[in-house]
Amino acid sequence: MMTWLPVLPILLPLLAAALQLLAGAHRRRRVAAVSVVSCVALLVLALVLVVDMSTAPPQVYRIGDWPARFGIVLVVDRLSALMLLITAVLALAVVPHLLGRWIYHGVYLQPLVQLLLCGVNGAFLTGDLFNLFVFFEVLLAASYGLSLYGSGPRRVGASLHYIAINLAASALLLVGISLVLAATGSLNMAAIARQVPQLTDNARLLLHVGAGLLALAFLVKAAIWPLGFWLPRTYSSAIAPVAALFAIMTEVGVYVLLRLSVLVLGADAGPSARLGADVLLALGVVSVGVATIGVLGARELGKLAAWSVLLSSGTLVGAIGVQQPLVTAGALAYLAISVPSLAALFLLTGLIVDEQETQEPQQLEPYDPAGDALYEHEDERDLRSPLSVVIVSVAFFATAILLTGLPPFAGFLAKFSLLAPLLNYGVGAQCLFAAILLGGFGTLVAFCRAGIQIFWADDQWVFPRVRGRNVLPVAGLLLLCLAFSAWTVAPWHYVESAAQQIHAAALYQQAVLP
Amino acid sequence: MDWSHAPAVWLILLPFVASGLAAIWPRRWHPGYVMTGTGALGLAVLGWWAPGLLDGEVVRWQHAWMPALGLDFSLYIDGLAALFALLVFGIGILVAIYARYYMPAHYPLKRFYTLMLAFMGAMLGIVMAGNVIQLVFFWELTSLVSFLLIGYWHQGESARDAARTALIVTGGGGLCLLGGALLLGHIVGSYDLGAILASGDTIRNSPLYEVTLVLILLGALSKSAQFPFHFWLPQAMSAPTPVSAYLHSATMVKAGVFLLLRFWPVLAGTDAWFWGVGTAGLVSLLLGAWIATFQQDLKAILAYSTISHLGLIMMMVGFGSTLGVVAALFHVINHATFKASLFMAAGAIDHEAGTRDLRRLGGLRRLMPITATLALISGAAMAGVPLLNGFLSKEMFFAVTLGSDYGTWVDTGVVLFAVLAAGLSVAYSLRLLVGTFFGPVSLDSPRSPGEPPRWMRVPIALLSLLCLLVGILPARVVGPVLHAAAAAVLGAELPVYSLQLWHGFTWPLVMSIAAFASGCVFYVVTRSYLAEREATAWIAPVSARRVFEWVMVMLTETLPRWQQAVFPARHLQVQLRVLFGMAAGVAALVLVQFAWQVPAPGRIDVGLAVLWLVGSGCAIGAARQAKFHRMTALMLSGGAGLAVAITFVWLSAPDLAATQLLVESVTTVLLLLGLRWLPKRIPGLVRSSPRTRRRRLGDFLIASVAGGGMGMLAYLAMLHPLPDAVSRFFIENALPGGGGRNVVNVILVDFRSFDTLGEITVLAIVALSIYGVLRRFRPANESLGTPHLRLQAKGGDPAMRPAHPGATLPGFMAVPARLVLLVSPFALLFAVHLLVRGHNLPGGGFVAGLAVTLVLIVLCMARGVRWVEARVRVAPLRWIAFGWLLALATGTGAMLLGRPFLTSWHGSGTLPVLGTWHFASALFFDLGVFAVVVGVATLILIALAHQSVRAPIGVVRHDDTEPT
Repeated sequence: MMTWLPVLPILLPLLAAALQLLAGAHRRRRVAAVSVVSCVALLVLALVLVVDMSTAPPQVYRIGDWPARFGIVLVVDRLSALMLLITAVLALAVVPHLLGRWIYHGVYLQPLVQLLLCGVNGAFLTGDLFNLFVFFEVLLAASYGLSLYGSGPRRVGASLHYIAINLAASALLLVGISLVLAATGSLNMAAIARQVPQLTDNARLLLHVGAGLLALAFLVKAAIWPLGFWLPRTYSSAIAPVAALFAIMTEVGVYVLLRLSVLVLGADAGPSARLGADVLLALGVVSVGVATIGVLGARELGKLAAWSVLLSSGTLVGAIGVQQPLVTAGALAYLAISVPSLAALFLLTGLIVDEQETQEPQQLEPYDPAGDALYEHEDERDLRSPLSVVIVSVAFFATAILLTGLPPFAGFLAKFSLLAPLLNYGVGAQCLFAAILLGGFGTLVAFCRAGIQIFWADDQWVFPRVRGRNVLPVAGLLLLCLAFSAWTVAPWHYVESAAQQIHAAALYQQAVLP
Repeated sequence: MDWSHAPAVWLILLPFVASGLAAIWPRRWHPGYVMTGTGALGLAVLGWWAPGLLDGEVVRWQHAWMPALGLDFSLYIDGLAALFALLVFGIGILVAIYARYYMPAHYPLKRFYTLMLAFMGAMLGIVMAGNVIQLVFFWELTSLVSFLLIGYWHQGESARDAARTALIVTGGGGLCLLGGALLLGHIVGSYDLGAILASGDTIRNSPLYEVTLVLILLGALSKSAQFPFHFWLPQAMSAPTPVSAYLHSATMVKAGVFLLLRFWPVLAGTDAWFWGVGTAGLVSLLLGAWIATFQQDLKAILAYSTISHLGLIMMMVGFGSTLGVVAALFHVINHATFKASLFMAAGAIDHEAGTRDLRRLGGLRRLMPITATLALISGAAMAGVPLLNGFLSKEMFFAVTLGSDYGTWVDTGVVLFAVLAAGLSVAYSLRLLVGTFFGPVSLDSPRSPGEPPRWMRVPIALLSLLCLLVGILPARVVGPVLHAAAAAVLGAELPVYSLQLWHGFTWPLVMSIAAFASGCVFYVVTRSYLAEREATAWIAPVSARRVFEWVMVMLTETLPRWQQAVFPARHLQVQLRVLFGMAAGVAALVLVQFAWQVPAPGRIDVGLAVLWLVGSGCAIGAARQAKFHRMTALMLSGGAGLAVAITFVWLSAPDLAATQLLVESVTTVLLLLGLRWLPKRIPGLVRSSPRTRRRRLGDFLIASVAGGGMGMLAYLAMLHPLPDAVSRFFIENALPGGGGRNVVNVILVDFRSFDTLGEITVLAIVALSIYGVLRRFRPANESLGTPHLRLQAKGGDPAMRPAHPGATLPGFMAVPARLVLLVSPFALLFAVHLLVRGHNLPGGGFVAGLAVTLVLIVLCMARGVRWVEARVRVAPLRWIAFGWLLALATGTGAMLLGRPFLTSWHGSGTLPVLGTWHFASALFFDLGVFAVVVGVATLILIALAHQSVRAPIGVVRHDDTEPT
């Protein structure tokens, strides 16, 4: 493997953004071409990394050629390569949607998307705590700009809340990092992890405060109860392609929680082992419950999608709290399926709900109990729908199935792989098991209602014009998820070995600090 | 059994492939042929296997799916699976033929047949599953297809409601089943059906047995429309009649029965099983029969009768006796034949007469004699008339109830209820048949009925014939199949049963006679009463369906509204309070454990203390004024920032001090520019109610706790001896490794230059975002006028107001303007100086960039935006892009030389005139930082400053040329 590969997923989008700014917003073709090239290249890069990593130990890239303890390192292992791949797939699916009507709603959409990708990739790759903060800021700053994109009172209102809460969380993040630095004297994650078992009591307490504050900050990003109520408003008011990209952002929080809890506070951490793991599990279970209620009560398609994001991240954080390789593997499989399906749902929302700045999005009606008449006479009216609506409705049905975890899509297998091992790890894990099943039921009810109203009942529903290039990415994501229903052995093997790799924290430390 | 491997997988794939084929079937040919052909092929394969299957062999096929988790795609075809597969294919063919003539050609037929075939595949998947997870997979698939088929005529509201109810009930049941299957796997240690069937004792003795059983029962009962989930089935009759005949009477609703029979060897035989399955079955049996008696719609009668008959089957399964299993299997076959036939007949009547309402039908015997004869045969089978198959399985049912030994009152009760239910089924069968075919010809029907097309009658005829054949020659016709199926469930311990018409004068016969007589009497007595009745008598107003709807409203309305009220997402304050509360909690939880005695601070530096008192005062003042007087608050926070800057100087950190000072100035000015466009404060806010005062007190407390806690943490952290390896490394390596004497700068542009790259990116993104938002922002009407403060400053003199927004007052700031012009070249020069010397002395790209920005800001303030724009051409985007590219180029330069990204190079030498020179490649990086900072600050400045030359949409602008 070429040694300089790990830094490219960060540099490439940055370069793309710089070129797009230089080209100027009016040169649309050029800007679009840069976006497409960058995203395709990111996908290729991620694929190469995934293939390389499937057999290799973690790979370290030392920025500036300084020793790992003192400089900044990038670390690629199976987990980060997987996350890069998911991000790249998502980005490629979103790009065609950026070229449509949305470009008339504001400026710098495409550079901001590239910068978001830069931040996300950086957060997945870095092996340094402060550098992680920096990339978090990059991705958050880009997300601020993107969530404001398109303006309008609703969007600006939601975004300002989002910005305020995330700034507060970032402040906590910074405080947490300084405390960890004070306790261990290092910013390098592997060095911190190596230090943790030998800390003095007082240093350990500082570390624990720091870890607690860090966890809070990441829980805000992952939108876990009770820190996640900003998410439904923000995601549902962002423009559709942006919201689709945001699906990966909560997973960045989840990723860091997983990475740090296993690496720094994992089984080898001496007195700090499994610190807060049970809290994560409990918060995950409650989040799943809260998100289920949210999904059930959502009155807009965007809100429905946003609450589904919460459901997914609650599930994942709960699974992280169990801290077992098999459960982690299931969680990664679940993540790999749920992110593309959530993105597909957001993209579909853009194709189903007509964006009009002057009015609120079309509302989903409240649950209307069935009438007392057992059934009417067979209604023989034949209202054929236009082809585009048929395609969108099939896509919606498929996405709903995916998110509910029903066959034949891979959502079923992903949910199975997460649920099956949970039964072995005590009452907490079993609560999560039950919560996930209940969450599936809530999603089923909610999507059933929404789909019936939009595609079957509501003659008045206004569908925006749908273009082929908008449907293709959605179809691609869905077909991918369908393919994973049959082609399971190799992907599952990868996910499982990724989970084992991160749970073997010594391996990571060994790679970074030989 | 190698001979069976390949066909098994083809058999399961066949319907799915056919389903895809039907979707793209050419318009010229009817898609019904695909389904007929599929059914025929399937039957042929089953026939090929028949000898082996009837001998008790099992066809197996396996393929790794997710082997690491014990999930294989495995097929397990034994006698039980074969019996159900026979129903799926056999009735499938008949329904396909029937639908070919029933469904008008202008309907979306491809969709219909695609879904029917998909259902056929899913149902086969259930019965042939050799792995319980795979079974759930197909189970859920049938629910989804059933949903789409019920909603086939989605223009009708009842169809939509029915589809919704059916999906929620059966899909939810499926999720329970998934839980149950996972638990089964957990108990046994394998999801493989063979392994599970082999560990009955392990399962029954497991502490998880009850939970598992309940979950599996929830799945089975909901699918088979058993009490209390029975309500979805009658609603589901909104589907086209072929769907009702196929899914909702013959096959899908029997999946629950299949499931319980499948797990009978490992789950049955306990009290929990008897009470769970038996009670649900008994209640459904009676309730279904009772409600069916009161219906006026043919399909409704059939639907409730289906619930009732499924209840009967369930009850027999629930008894836990081996004879019960045989009886259940026998009735599964019989019910499928006579009920499918009756549904098709009802569909034919509907097709011809245009109505299914008993009150509008009558005398059809004369108009459609063949259909009437066929329906009479199947109807009689349903009622349990001798010589027909229904009679035999009912006799067997009575024999099972007589064999009950669970205690005196249960045994007696079961027998009585069985007779009662049988009597009711005679009554509703009579109502259905007599009401439709006998009596005077009704003139009320919308169309004038006649015989349906011949091919519509053929499937009905075949099924009716089957009813007769089984009824007369049971052992010949179904004996082997039944035996194979029962042997698959029961293994070696097959009970003694005899399939024949006449067993002698036995108790079951007595019960049959009693049921028949009571049913006839009931019918005759209530005939006229029932003819007009709309609702069912004696059913409590609380129906299962109402409860279901209530739960749904609860889930989708009440709970979310409650959650919304408790955690209002609209209120930022609530969320921030939670966040800070949790942070304080985390800190407090740990800090109370601090073991060491916190030493009191030693010597206090008076000067620094005073400085911090002032700074803190400013900060508190800023917080206090933030809501009431933003300008004051801003200035005060600037004061706090200054205190920090001075502290840096105090602690000998000139770099930080300079940066802090410049950042403070630039942000204050930019914020001031923004303040201009914020709405004025609302006067009412100043008056405070007790509630607001309480809230403010709370906020004050939170702020104090947060601030105090932060101080405490910092104090403790500083007391802790910092492991100094990292900082020592930086100090020792700054000159030899980084080529600079200013360690801070070397950290920024070399040791941790990657962070700096990220930070300038953040800056640039923020600038782009601000510009993006403000570009579309138009000032509110109320802030259009001359600012309040400016009016006050000029004593309210109207002559001093600017002519139009954005204009500068004549003579305004004349002296500062000259001064600024004089100073700015030197300031720019100083900025360059800061940039170049940065690596060794305090300075650097960041500070230099800020200095340049400050010059621009001051110029703008003194001369106005227009003046500056006309003279200074700054293209901020180019600056930003250039800065990035430069930084990237510096970094990738190292990569081209084979070193990692951002590896620096430095060297020194002597030049003829200039003397010794010293150079580090990091300077280019710093130049990039400089460019980005300048670009960013300028972009924000432009974005804010341009507000003053804009007007709201709809208001005429004084100046039409919008600056670019």
